[in-house]
Amino acid sequence: MSKFQTSIHEYLETLPEHTFNRLYQKPATCLAIFRLLPPLGKQIIMSCLYVDKPIPFNEMRLWFKDGAGITKQMEAMARLKALHIFTEQHNSYKMNPTFLQEFRNALTGGGNSESFGLATSTPDKHHVDIAFLDDYATKQWEAILHFMVGTTEGKPPCKGVLNLLGRSGLMTGGSNAQQAENMDAREFASQMARQDFGVPTITNKGFQFLLQDINTQVWAFLLQYLNMAESLNMDLVEVLTFFFQLGSLELGNDYSSEKLTPSQTHLLEDLKAYGIVYQRKRGSRRYYPTRLATTLTSGTPVMLGSHSNATKNGAAAAAAVRKTEEEEEDGHGFIVIETNYRVYAYTDSPLQIAVLNLFVHLRDRFPNMVTGVVTRDSIRRALSNGITAEQIITYLSAHAHAQMRKHSPVLPLTVVDQIRLWEIEKNRLRAAPSWNYSQFNRQQDFESTLEYASELGVVQWSDSKRKMLCITQEGHQPVGAYVRKLITKHKEQQAQQQQQAHQHQQQQHHHHATSVHS
Amino acid sequence: MVKAVKGTIIECDTSVKQIIIGLNEKYQFIIEDLDDTHVYIDTTYVEQLRHDIDEILNENTYKVEEKEQK
Repeated sequence: MSKFQTSIHEYLETLPEHTFNRLYQKPATCLAIFRLLPPLGKQIIMSCLYVDKPIPFNEMRLWFKDGAGITKQMEAMARLKALHIFTEQHNSYKMNPTFLQEFRNALTGGGNSESFGLATSTPDKHHVDIAFLDDYATKQWEAILHFMVGTTEGKPPCKGVLNLLGRSGLMTGGSNAQQAENMDAREFASQMARQDFGVPTITNKGFQFLLQDINTQVWAFLLQYLNMAESLNMDLVEVLTFFFQLGSLELGNDYSSEKLTPSQTHLLEDLKAYGIVYQRKRGSRRYYPTRLATTLTSGTPVMLGSHSNATKNGAAAAAAVRKTEEEEEDGHGFIVIETNYRVYAYTDSPLQIAVLNLFVHLRDRFPNMVTGVVTRDSIRRALSNGITAEQIITYLSAHAHAQMRKHSPVLPLTVVDQIRLWEIEKNRLRAAPSWNYSQFNRQQDFESTLEYASELGVVQWSDSKRKMLCITQEGHQPVGAYVRKLITKHKEQQAQQQQQAHQHQQQQHHHHATSVHS
Repeated sequence: MVKAVKGTIIECDTSVKQIIIGLNEKYQFIIEDLDDTHVYIDTTYVEQLRHDIDEILNENTYKVEEKEQK
């Protein structure tokens, strides 16, 4: 099963060193990458930040306890080296000079601070508050998700989004992408919405995507965008810099879009469609980051109130913030699941209902809740859509109602086990591509081939009575070569033997002849 | 002379193995019957096989919700 790339780390680690050197020229990027690091990585950086000499291996080793501490250090350093923050030099760790310089700037506020976004100098006549931004972000983002699950709520997202959905494989895109690119947005959307075209079908990846939390979803989207940026001739560094810059902006403030590079302006336009930034009108000189943007690198979960909530608290910004914080604490939880497989979901969001509908057999709908049952069929339907049991369980426990959280474990064990059993039941056969070797002439040839293949660890199955073995595809080349060598060796031996036998015969003949002669 | 054949090795429990043997009468995809829990088949039939087995197993499953609705 294909998995989509969700982690920005994985992506960053694939980039070459010179890209990093360019990235680290911006203090905001340094800070953002620092924020994304695990605690130990942060600590190592902080310890080394104001040491101007490279740090010898054995000195750094003293910072850690023997045993478990050392392995943790190794893990953390491997990470930092992958990000090119540290390099190894003469048995010591050297910090990337650009990173060092700019990260110091980020912390102490020196240097050019434009990378943290340029706040506009004049107040906005059309100032918008946080509640509005939350509402906007929710609406835009949910519109995308709605489109994915196929509810009719909201208008279809714009072409850029559709294109991204198609390219990322979250939905099966236009039957051919080439054609789609030449179409204008409306044509494309209507084309996609038409049933006979059969396009708006969500893929396995798409289903998995829906069950992730919103932060992962946003990153998955942005990473896909990065992959696309290269083909759109956009500069990767500029795009990444802008993403990281967004992460350091403050919610509720407006920033100037005048200093942005052309590709960043283009990017802004696309991000608007995802609800990551807000701009009052196209080409406006200022833009607002939304909560989706500001939580990108903070590592805290984004909690957008479900749509109806957000619109209700249009009052003061402070109230809105308090409201979301409360929601965070109470848990976004709305699902109650009982040991008899019944599900009660306290929600009126069509999106959440649609997501639940992926794996729950929904029965009744009330103004503030839906009820349903988890059945073998409903889970099997989900499984055949490519959703794994683990994803369902994670989703259920992540959205469990506060009442459910009082229990430990949160979800009833019977249900969790049953969901896993249904998954196992569905996969009753394991298939693996393979090569089957048979008809060995001699038992010893078979035995030695088997021994060789087992050493390589490529044997899938073997039977010495039938002189037959199955090996993995990777094993085919070396084992095949080994068998050929065996055979030629054997043939040579045979030839030699024959020759010897022949000579022997001749000698005998000769003897015979001489004896006769005498 | 040693013979090498490309294909797919299937590992399953004995009951599924019997279903596979049954299906083989229709499609003839088994290259080599290995043992009770393994069978070596033509790769092109793997998906078809999965689908068919799923269907057959599904027919033989007792369903609670059907009973409830009646």
